[in-house]
Amino acid sequence: MEAMMEKLKILADSAKYDVSCSSSGAGRHNNGKIGSAHAAGICHSWGADGRCISLLKVLFTNKCVYNCEYCVNRRTNDFPRASFEPDELARLTIEFYRRNYIEGLFLSSAVEVSPDYTAERILESLQLLRYKYGFAGYIHAKIIPGVSPELLHQIGLVADRLSVNIEMPTSKSLELLAPQKKPNEIFAPMRQITNSLIERNALKGPGTMFRGQQLNTAENYLGAGRQLNIAGNYPVTGGHKSSMAGSTAVARVRTDKSFAPAGQTTQMIIGAGGETDQSILTTSENLYRTFKMKRVYYSAYIPVVESPVLPGKNTAPPLAREHRIYQADWLLRFYGFTVNELFNKDNANLDPDLDPKVTWALRNLDQFPVEVNKASYGMLMRVPGIGAVSARRIIRQRRIAAVSFDDLKKMGVVIKRARYFLTCGGRYYGQRSFDPETIRNAILQMESGLQLSMFDNDWNRLEEGEKQEKLAQNGLI
Amino acid sequence: MLDYLYDGTFEGILTCIYHHYYTGKASGIFPQGEYQPTLLADFMEVETDSFKATAVYEAIEKKISSYDLRRIYKAYLSCDHDKEMKILRYVELGFRQGASVSMLHGNPVVFDIQSIEKKINVETERMLQFVRFSVMDGDVLYSRIEPDNDVLELLHTHFCDRFRNDPFIIHDFRRRKALIAYQNRWYISEFDDSDIPEPSEEEQSYRLLWKNYFDNISIKERTNPRCQKNFMPVRYWKHLTEMNTI
Repeated sequence: MEAMMEKLKILADSAKYDVSCSSSGAGRHNNGKIGSAHAAGICHSWGADGRCISLLKVLFTNKCVYNCEYCVNRRTNDFPRASFEPDELARLTIEFYRRNYIEGLFLSSAVEVSPDYTAERILESLQLLRYKYGFAGYIHAKIIPGVSPELLHQIGLVADRLSVNIEMPTSKSLELLAPQKKPNEIFAPMRQITNSLIERNALKGPGTMFRGQQLNTAENYLGAGRQLNIAGNYPVTGGHKSSMAGSTAVARVRTDKSFAPAGQTTQMIIGAGGETDQSILTTSENLYRTFKMKRVYYSAYIPVVESPVLPGKNTAPPLAREHRIYQADWLLRFYGFTVNELFNKDNANLDPDLDPKVTWALRNLDQFPVEVNKASYGMLMRVPGIGAVSARRIIRQRRIAAVSFDDLKKMGVVIKRARYFLTCGGRYYGQRSFDPETIRNAILQMESGLQLSMFDNDWNRLEEGEKQEKLAQNGLI
Repeated sequence: MLDYLYDGTFEGILTCIYHHYYTGKASGIFPQGEYQPTLLADFMEVETDSFKATAVYEAIEKKISSYDLRRIYKAYLSCDHDKEMKILRYVELGFRQGASVSMLHGNPVVFDIQSIEKKINVETERMLQFVRFSVMDGDVLYSRIEPDNDVLELLHTHFCDRFRNDPFIIHDFRRRKALIAYQNRWYISEFDDSDIPEPSEEEQSYRLLWKNYFDNISIKERTNPRCQKNFMPVRYWKHLTEMNTI
């Protein structure tokens, strides 16, 4: 027990910088001996940093042959090292799970010996968990760049969600900070995951970005010869022309074995390189459009190791910036915005004082005020202070009764923000002058006291459904 | 002015609604024992009647909708002090409005029920999050909870499926009852401290491992206790393993 205690301490400590802890995206009844997956995900606890704890998030080993500048596990860092045995990890997961501490396992690893050697150990642990222990709960497996396609495939068959970390928003920072990781080795597994999902007719895409569209088509299939559109940030091409390219049908795989039903995600570090917010979000948008990823996670850079090419050890993590980027990311996935709309040529960074939806609305006042009794769902979603829940309620009530200004609050609309951008039955409830400066000042004044509490709501750790609800209610978007 | 007193059951409330229509308009509906008589109103102790309750139950299902019936039942599980009258007003409005009653989001009567339902849903989810089992002798899973609302019976679907092969007990400590389940069968029974089995030999070690994990997974540069308490209100900490293991 003493040894296990020490091991868990080391391998949790090394895993904590991985952002995602989400257990959402897969709904499944107990088809094994123990466990189920709740589609919206469940957070079981919140740590002292306010981040949710949903999965047992550990590294299989933190012994690493790589030497990435930003990473706590880099080879040259003098640091305690440990590895799990596959069976002890599977057993620990089950014991935690049956006490309802966790939703499942998030297994990542440093690169011990080689990517394939590490992947084999991960696969062995996951297979034990699924087959020997009959575990039907959630598994998120990290894919290490450079892993062979066959191993990736096997891991996908036992995991719910896969993620390959892109690490940096541009290939330039990647080359500088993680020279052993090659863009092609990152994108190859991403592409394989997307393709496997298409073959199973199971690609869903992020949020509501592709709602109503058929994603599982030949056009979305990422043949090896296809130019991947990661903008100028990541110029990448594959080698050979794919047999799929140009064909009209996708060869469906007939199988009852699901492959990563909760899709794939990735993660990048904010504030280690010199990128602008626009550049970061452009990379995200392209990841969403190309790979149809469920999510891109962002982590404010925390200096854990001294390096001449990185911000100094006393730099505070850019949490406020990370927060705004998450807000903008939500606008992309759930609110129908594109990155181009959020920036203009004078502003390549998000406004630190106002959330990106308000900033956008102030730059596009010609589209406001919006009449709540007439506007489309899409336009309602663009009104600051209105979220998915309140927009749906407005549309529902409109079918049988007109919506009055007093009704809006009961529907969950954040009046203090929304009032400047809408009319109810033709009447405007904002201040007398309808110009960007006046509205901006009014909102800023009102929010100066609120900023702090906004940061308390570390909402990006919430589960999907919970998040939407909270965002709508707090008017964060 | 006529106040109705009922026995605290759902059928009791439905019987009061029946009397509201056939005996006399209710000025208030209260659980027996919590009632303070006043000079302003008469009161009547309503005997729960399954015939009358069924009539109202079916009328709600037919004239409003089964969705609203479920909603009303959830409201009944709430700890809201005025839930009985809120339910009555919603049923009245529903009989006039039909199945579209839930679409009147701006109506104060609908808003009241919507808010109660939301609280019930939030607390049910919190129980899915915060129930902590201990493995007891004989591999029985035991958990103690103290929810504000009476959400115990809303938990069986989730836990019965998940822990199909483990016998488990979820003990609502304040209401002195427990959800007891094994292999997809469950019942709710009275339960006292003397019924709690002994912890298994390994239990303490796993509590310590979990506490150790919990402490090590948070990033100290991001420490934010207010955020932690927002999501995990302090009143639930009492039964969380990670907050009580030393």
